[in-house]
Amino acid sequence: MNFSFHSYLKRLRSTVIGILIISVLPALFFGINTKLEQKVWQYSINGIMYDVFPDVFDRYMYSMTIFFSALLTGLLAALVLTFITTLLPKFLQRVIYGVLTLLESLPDLFIVVVLQVSVIYIYKATGILVANVSNVYNNPIYLLPILTLAVLPTIQLFKITLLLMKEEQHKPYVTVARAMGLGRLYITLKHVFRNILTSLFQYYKTIFVFMLSNLFIVEYVFNLNGVMFLLLNTQGAAFLVTALIIALPFSVLFEIAENNTASVDERKEEDAA
Amino acid sequence: MIIKLMKQPQFVIGMLFIACLLIFSFYWPSLLDVNKKESLKLLDFLYDKDGKVIGAAPFPPSEIPPFGTDLAGKQLFYQVIDGAKYTIIIAIVIAFFRILFSVGITLLNPKSNFSYLNDIVQATLYIPTAILAYLFMNALLVKSELDSMSFSKLIVLQALILIGIGVPPLISTFSREIKTILNRDYIINTFALGSKKSYVYFKHVLPELSTKLFLLFAQQVIQSLILLAHLGVLTIFIGGSRTLMLGDFLDPMPYNIPLAGEWAGIIGMSFSKLQAAPWVILTPLSFFAITIFALNLMVQGIQNCLETNKT
Repeated sequence: MNFSFHSYLKRLRSTVIGILIISVLPALFFGINTKLEQKVWQYSINGIMYDVFPDVFDRYMYSMTIFFSALLTGLLAALVLTFITTLLPKFLQRVIYGVLTLLESLPDLFIVVVLQVSVIYIYKATGILVANVSNVYNNPIYLLPILTLAVLPTIQLFKITLLLMKEEQHKPYVTVARAMGLGRLYITLKHVFRNILTSLFQYYKTIFVFMLSNLFIVEYVFNLNGVMFLLLNTQGAAFLVTALIIALPFSVLFEIAENNTASVDERKEEDAA
Repeated sequence: MIIKLMKQPQFVIGMLFIACLLIFSFYWPSLLDVNKKESLKLLDFLYDKDGKVIGAAPFPPSEIPPFGTDLAGKQLFYQVIDGAKYTIIIAIVIAFFRILFSVGITLLNPKSNFSYLNDIVQATLYIPTAILAYLFMNALLVKSELDSMSFSKLIVLQALILIGIGVPPLISTFSREIKTILNRDYIINTFALGSKKSYVYFKHVLPELSTKLFLLFAQQVIQSLILLAHLGVLTIFIGGSRTLMLGDFLDPMPYNIPLAGEWAGIIGMSFSKLQAAPWVILTPLSFFAITIFALNLMVQGIQNCLETNKT
């Protein structure tokens, strides 16, 4: 576990400056046009005013619960699917890869809407409500948003791991292990998977940023009381604070991840030398 | 390069699809032999032979094939076909100017780090692009309501916002690319032999970047399409909207109708009625998905081309 405080401060500084610039720019270009009755630390939904503090913490916790459960679900699903795929014959693998490319190009909005509509359709047709499709009376829903948010990362991670797996299977150590008479299942589980996990770690940034953007659409369509919804409805100083609340924990995560992937790369270079 | 791209089947298929969609969208009244005004009119009620009302808008696809009508009773099929040209052209224009501006700004001073832009890029990691665009667009829309703006000025300003949002991350990729090219031996030699900067940029740097530029352009078109769809859901329409009063005299229903007929507008206009008429949302959304898939095919073709170049 590497963590250098100095470089983190540098990253923190640039993040804060960037968010500050972004929150000031709209007012700079088009003038300040918040309604007069709206106070700085308030936001309105359907004409009703709410206070930003301490609402934002509850919302943040709720959003992050959904975010990380979806991430874990996606990761697990991707790994299990990859494992199953490697045991399939070659031509089926190619078919699956093609289907993944097709699925990958679906916009997030499309997936969210289709899932919501299909749950309602199932309810209408059979009377079985698979999961609640919208927040009613501050009663938070979890199952459907998590599943929806997990769909696209699963597809992406599945594709990445499949590619990595293909690369990894031609490496000498796998051939040696095969020659030693070890089973394909054993090699994949015991050796290949471990190496893939470290390589997979390098894609953390793409996945995280992509998922944050998806989280916003999921929150909007399912009408969740999440933190992204707050980000959309606040302006100026309140926007700045909300954005910082989202950004700070993630920047710590990114810093740790970046340091550790760097050390992995260095180790690889040392090995090569 | 173009000949090589033409040999990639995926690229050709994607390209053909987009081209066909555009041509169809421009010439559909003559191709389908229908009157444009007639097919885009409002169709509130459906009458049987005796003049009795047998149905009211919105009609599902089963009643009015192939895609049904929207909440006001406009036929979705014609709307989607007509909107294709606006949507695709807006996305292409945005992507083109994003690339143009970012390459231009990077070439102004290729040695600098653009540290302020890097700050913004760092921050935009945590703020989804749709929210970023919404912030600017909302401020612009409020301003345009306060002091009335002409249609063309509003569109230009909105396009500038959408272009500006994409530029900072692109600059940081380009500055990295261009720096590695400028550090090549032959470029250093060319400079040592006394050639002008502009000559080197146009003769050596841009040709070397060209395939990469094409790739980034296609990816930017995809991203702007997605951004347009998201903004549509947030009821921000390109070109502004006009409020139409529906419903009866005692119970008026304000109903925002986007002025430009692009797909995002069709989505946003009736997004709150998703449960009542899912086909109104799903039709333009699936067209978005198909277009993005075609563009992805093109991206794949370009990537294959890049890989064969390397080996």
